[in-house]
Amino acid sequence: MPSPTERSRLSTALTRVVPVAVVLLAWEFVTRAEFVNPNVFPPVSEILLRWVTLVADGTTFTPLAGTLWRALAGLLAAIAVGVPLGLLMGRARWAEWFFEPLFSFAFPLPKIALIPLYVNWFGLFSLSKVMLIFTDCLFPIVLFTYHGARGMSPIHQWSAQARGTGPVRMLWRVVLPLSLASIYDGVQVAVVVAVLVAVVSEMVSGGSGLGYMMIRAYRYGDVRTAFATLLTISLIGFALYKLAQWLRGRLLHWYVAEA
Amino acid sequence: MRARIAHGALRLLPLFLVLAAWQLAFAFGWLPKWLLPAPSAVASAFKALVLSGELASNTAASLARAGIGFAVAVIVGIGLGVLMARVRAIELAIEPILLLIYPVPKPALIPLFMIWLGIGNFSKIAVIALACLLPVVVATFNGARSVDPVLLWSARARGTSEHRLLWRVVLPAALPQIAAGVRTAIAIAIIVLVSSEFISSESGLGFLIFSYGGVGADDAMLAVVLYLAFLGYLLDRLYVAGLRRIMSWHAFAH
Repeated sequence: MPSPTERSRLSTALTRVVPVAVVLLAWEFVTRAEFVNPNVFPPVSEILLRWVTLVADGTTFTPLAGTLWRALAGLLAAIAVGVPLGLLMGRARWAEWFFEPLFSFAFPLPKIALIPLYVNWFGLFSLSKVMLIFTDCLFPIVLFTYHGARGMSPIHQWSAQARGTGPVRMLWRVVLPLSLASIYDGVQVAVVVAVLVAVVSEMVSGGSGLGYMMIRAYRYGDVRTAFATLLTISLIGFALYKLAQWLRGRLLHWYVAEA
Repeated sequence: MRARIAHGALRLLPLFLVLAAWQLAFAFGWLPKWLLPAPSAVASAFKALVLSGELASNTAASLARAGIGFAVAVIVGIGLGVLMARVRAIELAIEPILLLIYPVPKPALIPLFMIWLGIGNFSKIAVIALACLLPVVVATFNGARSVDPVLLWSARARGTSEHRLLWRVVLPAALPQIAAGVRTAIAIAIIVLVSSEFISSESGLGFLIFSYGGVGADDAMLAVVLYLAFLGYLLDRLYVAGLRRIMSWHAFAH
């Protein structure tokens, strides 16, 4: 006998799943009836079958690994640089004065526009892509960290100062822990950005990865592979986002938002 | 007023410092030309692009693509969002489709749309419209759903027709949320525009950046990149300034 909360959770899951299933079935029937050319808009079952085939024969693996490592490398580099920079901007007047305008003026630039410049600097291969992902992820991480560190209640700072905490220790032991929730918001935004930029940079400058796999499918006019790859891209984006959300519960369970 | 100017100047100062350091590094020969062209070279390349009319014609091509896609997204998105919030059957029909599209990174749809609609303007506009649609629909839906019921009751009590209710009560009450969704859509439109022009095109700012970058004309390429950043900034500012006028009754603080 399921408990009431379990049952309500089940019913909300059902209200979400059933309509999606209906849409997918409608898609299947409309395309099966060949109202549209199946080589232009294939049935869902054929896309899923292609997806399974591409996974089972290992074709998906290498591009997936390429996209994933570039996205994660760029993201981690952005965290390593962005968090200290954001903390510094939030706590040191001169850093705020210097960096804040630079970040807010560069913010509206679609960082993807830097691809040709980065290819000149870092070459056609992985490095230019990782650097672009790094650049794009840096913005949400720096801005969220900065706002977190700046919005910190001064009481904590005073009490730490009263105990004779030095500036470096203050940043590390007081400002960083108190800004973690905000930093994590930035990381969650950046995870989605990282996958997106990885895929687009592969579509533009080629080489390898899921983005390139899609472009190649386009060149061969292979809609099923294009759809199947799109499914893989969406799945890893979704999985990384969910992973980040799950990690948040693990890492920040002690955090209680200040009223 | 004077304080505002001083404040603005202080904010701009770091930008000028970076520019000056960049130019100086070049003058002293610390920056090899292949790495980065001097700001003065970028400026003169920009001037040449303006004088030849190249910048204007490609800006027009890009703005037309982004503008049409964006406009379609805003009109369809607001309509759909309001209908979903008011009519349960439409919500049930549309929500699963949105749930399916939501986790897809929209620029990744570009190759699929190129298969369907060719490599011309149509596929670019369609991807831009789809990418911009989601934030507008979601914001409108949330806004229209959370309209204070007291407003609806009092309007109905005065005998307002359902049709009029939509236009005169629901839409204005949802406007602040819609406005935020549309602002997100502007940023998305530019990103998807540039991505699609990089992947395939013969005109537009993305094409200009890509083709100058491809032939190693870094000064012209950087000039267009910086111009694009400025354009994005300008569009956002214009939008916010326009909103302030329309929604003077609302505390839209930015």
